[in-house]
Parts: sequence; C-alpha cells; structure tokens
Amino acid sequence: MLSRNAEGLYWIGRYLERARHGCRLLSDQLATMEDRPVEEIDQGWRRLYRAVHRTPLGGFLASGEEDEDFMLADAYTMADDLTFEPGNPDSIRNCLAAARENARQVRNILGVRMWDCLNLAYLDIRDIGIETIWNDQPDAFYLRTEDAIRTFSGIAVSSMYRDDGWHFLWLGWFVERTQLLAGLIDAHLAQYPTAAQHSESDWRALLRICEAHVAYRHLHSHSHRPGRMVDFLVADPLLAHSVRHALARVTEALDAVSSGRSLAVEAGRRAGRMAAVIDHDWPNRDPDDDDATRTALQDVRNSCLLLHEDIAATYFHYEIVDAP
Amino acid sequence: MNRETGGRQSMADGSGPSVAKRLFADYETRPAYYDEMFEAAGVPRAHCLELCEALDGMQPDEIAAMQALAERSFLHQGITFAVYGEEGAQERIIPIDFLPRLLNAADWDVVERGLRQRLKALNLFLADVYGPGRIIADGVIPVDLVRGCPQYRVVMRGLEVPHGVHVALCGTDIVRTNDGFMVLEDNLRVPSGVSYMLANRRALKTSLRNLFRRHHVRGIEHYGQLLRQTLSELAPPGVSDPCIVLLTPGVYNSAFYEHMFLAREMGVELVQGSDLLVHNGIVYMRTTAGLRRVDVIYRRIDDDFIDPLAFRAESQLGTPGLFYAYRLGNVTIANAPGTGVADDKAVYAYVPDMIRYYLSEEPVLANVETHLCREPEELAFTLDNLETLIVKMVGESGGYGMLVGPHATPAERAAYAEQIRKDPANYISQPVLDLSVSPCLAANGAAPRHVDLRPFVLHGSETRLVPGAFCRVALVEGSLVVNSSQGGGGKDLWVLSS
Repeated sequence: MLSRNAEGLYWIGRYLERARHGCRLLSDQLATMEDRPVEEIDQGWRRLYRAVHRTPLGGFLASGEEDEDFMLADAYTMADDLTFEPGNPDSIRNCLAAARENARQVRNILGVRMWDCLNLAYLDIRDIGIETIWNDQPDAFYLRTEDAIRTFSGIAVSSMYRDDGWHFLWLGWFVERTQLLAGLIDAHLAQYPTAAQHSESDWRALLRICEAHVAYRHLHSHSHRPGRMVDFLVADPLLAHSVRHALARVTEALDAVSSGRSLAVEAGRRAGRMAAVIDHDWPNRDPDDDDATRTALQDVRNSCLLLHEDIAATYFHYEIVDAP
Repeated sequence: MNRETGGRQSMADGSGPSVAKRLFADYETRPAYYDEMFEAAGVPRAHCLELCEALDGMQPDEIAAMQALAERSFLHQGITFAVYGEEGAQERIIPIDFLPRLLNAADWDVVERGLRQRLKALNLFLADVYGPGRIIADGVIPVDLVRGCPQYRVVMRGLEVPHGVHVALCGTDIVRTNDGFMVLEDNLRVPSGVSYMLANRRALKTSLRNLFRRHHVRGIEHYGQLLRQTLSELAPPGVSDPCIVLLTPGVYNSAFYEHMFLAREMGVELVQGSDLLVHNGIVYMRTTAGLRRVDVIYRRIDDDFIDPLAFRAESQLGTPGLFYAYRLGNVTIANAPGTGVADDKAVYAYVPDMIRYYLSEEPVLANVETHLCREPEELAFTLDNLETLIVKMVGESGGYGMLVGPHATPAERAAYAEQIRKDPANYISQPVLDLSVSPCLAANGAAPRHVDLRPFVLHGSETRLVPGAFCRVALVEGSLVVNSSQGGGGKDLWVLSS
C-alpha cells in the first residue's frame, strides 16, 4: 500500500477516536451540571482538562467559588474551547476536519459510504458554534457526533477489504485509544486519589466515559472500589475501552502489516513490551500506591508517543537506502 | 414524489391534470439557434418527442426539487471543483440541469467519426513535429508557429513514445450551429470533466429511472475500464502487467475529485509527486512494504510541474528525475509532455490541414473560422471588427483572458485592442458562434440555454470512446460562456441507440 495512503488511514483512525473521546468526556461533564454541586462540577472540568493536557483559556474557578452564574459561564467557555476553538488542535471540530482532510486524500481507497458518513459529520459541525448547541440540547449534539463516528467504524467493519489499509486505520484508532485512556485514568487519579473520600458518582462517571459501567456492574455488582475499577480499565483484555484491549488491537494490526516483511519491527516489539508490562508487572504493583499507578500510566502514554514515531519511521517516512 | 411515469399528456391539446404550469408552456425557439429539442415552437424533434411529452407532464418545481437533491448529494459526496482566486469557494459543485440533451445515433456517428479522425491526425502531427518535421518542411504549417509555441518542448525532440501515441486522452469541445457540428477546442494536455459526465449520468438515471430506461440510452459507465485498458497498452515494451498510477497535484487542485474518482474507477494508486522517486532511471513509489516500480503514469499535472530537473525548477509538485526515466523508456507518461503544441489556439487553425496532409481525408468535423492576429491582414480585420468577434489568448483556457466583443463595452474593447497590438501573435479571433440551445430549467419553466459538449476520446493501441460527453451549459440567459469557472453548469447527454 502507498505509504501516504496508509498514513492517511492511520490518521483518520487517530482523529476520529480523539473526537469520539472528546464527545464522551463532554457529554459526561455536561450531565454532571444537571444535579451536582458547583465544586464537584469544577473538579470534573479540572480532570477533563488534565486528561487532554490542556489549560482553559481563562483558568479555572477560584477555589471555593460557588457562584452558579460563574459556573455556567465557565462551562460554556470550556465546552466551546474543547468543541469548536479554532486554535485548539484537539477540539472536536478540528479533529473531524483533520480526519476528513485525510479522508479526502485517500478517498479513492475509501468506500463511498465511509466518505459520505465522515463528510456529513464534518458538514454538520462545520458552520455551527457553541451557541447553537448550548441553546438546544448540548447532549444531543455530542451523542449525534459520537454516533456518526460509530457509524463510520461500523461501515468500515462491514465493508472494508482486510488489507493493509484496514490494519492501518485500526492501528491509528487503537494507538490513540491507548494513549487517551492512560491519560484519562492518570488525570482521574490525580483529581480523585483512591484514598480520599469522593462520591461514588465521580468514579462511576469514569466507567461511563469508558463504556465500562455495565460490564463492571455485571462482574462486580455495585461494589465501589476505585482500585478495582482502575484495574478493570487498564488490564481487562475483554473490555473494549481498556488499555490492555487497545494494545491487543495495536499488536494485532502491527503483526498483520509487518508479516513477511524485512522492514524493522521495532514498533511491534515496543507494543509487545507495553502489553507484557500490563500482563506481568501491573498485577504486582501496590494498588493503594496512586503514585506508582500513575507512573505506570504515564509510561504507557509516553510509550505511545515513541510507538507512533516507530510506526512513522517504519512505514510512512522511511529512509531510502537503495532501490530494489 | 417522482411523477415521471404519470401525467403524460399531448403537447398540442393543452389538456391533462390540473397542473399549475407546464414545463414548456413559455418555451420559445429562435431560428438563429439550432434547438436541440424542438424543430419549431411546440414541435419536438422526432427523437425527442417521448422525452418532451414526459417532461411536459411533470411540474417544474418537482424537477427543481430533484435537481436540488442531486446538487446536495454532489456536495455531500464531494463532487466539487475549485475556482482559483475566489475566496471562500474552495469546494463548489458544478450545477446540474435535469433536462437531458438527446443525440440520435446518426448525429453521434458524425461526432464519433470526426473525433477519431481528428485524434489520429493530431497524434501524427505530434510525432512529426517532435520527429522529422515533414509538415513544416512541406510548408503546410509555419515553422515559427510550431517551434515558437510556448508549449513546444524541445526536450521531446527525437523521442519515440510507445505506439507513437502522444495523446492518450483528449476532451474535445464541440458545438453545434445551424451549419452542423464544429470543433471549438482540442484539449490535449490534461482534459477534465469526465467525472462530471459520469456523476450527471448517475444522478439522472436515479431520478428519471423509467424515462431513462424507455429511451435505450447507450451506457458510458465503463469509461474507467477503457481508460485502464488504454493506459496498459501504452506501458513500456516488455511490461505485461504494468503498475499504473494517477499523478495528482493534490487535494487543492480544482479537479481533485476527478483524480480521486478516476483512480478509484481504474483501481490504481493516486499518487502525488512526493510519493514517487527515481533511482537509476527507474520510477518507484513509496509503499508500506518498500519501493514498488511504476510503469505508467497518468498525469493530471501540467508539463511545467512534472519534473523540476527538466521543466520548472521551483516546482514542488513533481518528481525530480521523472523525465530522465521517461527518456530512457522506463516509464510511460500519458499524455506525453509537449502535447500542448497541438491544442494551441493558433495551431488549432491548421488542424483541418493536418487531417488532409496526414490522412488524405476531408475533415468530418469543421473548425470554427479563426483569424490569427500574427498575420497583419488578420490583425487588421480583428481590430476593425472587435464588436462582432470573440478574441482569445492562444495559451489560455477555461474562458480566462477572453473578450466577447458584442458583450463588451467600448472602453473594454479599446483596452483589449491595446493589448492585442502589443503582442498580436498571442491572440486569435473567431466570429461569435450561434451555439445551439437546449431547454433548461429556469425560474418559470423551461427556457433555452446555450450548450456545448465535451466527449472524451482514448487512444492506446486503438481509439476508444464512450457514447457520451460532459455537456456544458451556460446557465445565465443569453450567455455563451459555458465554462464551469465562469458560471456554467452541466447536463446529461443521452446518446440514443437508434
């Protein structure tokens, strides 16, 4: 497969997962505004911003500030920043625009329905602003956008030819998911240490964002044990939004694209090492030691950055030593 | 609701369902212009009778709704083009008019024979002017017109191309007047529009399904297959299963949709200059599994930008060394560099002579009378008759840099005359043609609008064309300019099998 096409598909995967994750975070955060005290809502924003490695343009509410109007104005500004802000490369609109721009470049190998779906999602968000969704039902907007991305992935699953293009799409998707999940759980622990007293709803929200609440309840009833929740989100290979599952998909894609090739396989080795650390080292850590847990999560995140560089250097922008 | 199957009524009796207004109620024919659908007011041509009756039974707003739906679908599918220099118009659709233009089998036969003949002669001309130059030596065409043409590529001299084919694809603009078909322009460099031809067909076929079926319209959907076959045939000698790629300048090119579309239709890679590299005179593309050799390049990028080492040095779009690989015969570039010398607007005037010279035949399709301002008498004639002529710059296309004498103000004409005097060789003039008209949907039902057609001809080991064309239409009342960049739209052309 043409390297530029592979790279285009890889980035479509990354940007769509980033946009989907953004929708998920925001719809959950806006839901907290229905019935939670101002202080808790503020904490939610702090976790959210920490998870996406960004600082709000106007800063957070001053500690102890409990003015409802301030809270609402802040929420409006921050939702705008994360959804529409042109200067924020990771805003949902920018992610969709970037995914669509990559899709334009590779349209000849993308199914017509996949393009239509992505193009419509982009056109839907292109000309609106926060005021449009705020005065309507912001939840519905995030849900609709997330659904469009899910539809895109559904069409991909049901229609794409399983060649390298398919593998690079999901490689990007799951590298991004691994990185985002590690960042989110790390940010959550920073905001809500396991030893501190927090309402259950903060932790349940984390499960909801990761679409893990139903499975968790099924496995662990209603037991509220933050350590167990973190374990579940990091190490359970059967959970679609766990770090371990995402890594399994990364490894699977890398195995497929490197099979029978003489190219360097550093990327595959690195992904394998990341998975092995979760399988073997993670269970041995002290679950009450948040610092150790966070360090492990930060290692996963940093490894994702290096993994991306390995992939780019192996498949997209490799050095030409000699022609065949 | 699509009522194309119902509501059929006689054109003459005026009876029928309680329709607010019939489509052709106010339609006027004017004898000065050949009308593609009507022989005279209210009298459809024989091959248009059924279509005319069916359309007349539909309500204009119903057709307008179908049109709007199709245009929205074009936008959603990204069937767009860009107009350079226009801010905020990065992606625009070419508006579609839903009233198809019909061509009967006999008319198409003339067009097809004419196009085959013309392309054959043009290829022989190119092989000649980059080879022995017989046509120049025999005094049929002036040497300075050919070698002084900015599109003449000295680097192509003495180069033998596979099958002697310089032009593998062309899109010829044909108009009809009361005197018959005429060729307005040969586009031999990187002709575009074929994807709009196919998109318009798809849109009409979907919306007017039953009408389409009843008319036994000849199919055009196999164009991609024919294109691939043609390009395969032009592969360097000894290559049996060539690796073909389509070279695009990228997403910001005005015709990027078409590049993408054709690559998909052919099942070949769509590459940019940076995806290719030349090593030891061989072209490769960069793939995830390493380098892969490329045999045929269908380039949608102008000569100047193909290779910074051979042509324009500052080009970022091409691939260094590509022309060297081409000279060695290791890769085919279609169309070959330097074909622009044959579609230059001044050289155009000599195409009928080329046909006579190389094929010893009379041209099937006439040329438009053309005055070359490089000749003193013709310059004088042009300057004296500016108010009745269309003046074009020889190297321009797309309707840019053109003066439509009758529509220009005296001041505009005077300014243009000054430009012509400064560089006469850069201009040609032609009479204002009475382009044929075809009914189009306007605000109050159908109205006549000027049209042309651009069929696409392929030339590999044999000449091929699909029976269809991108039919361009000047959507503004009275306008003669059909170019998409100047407010033109498109229509589907139905070539009937009998």
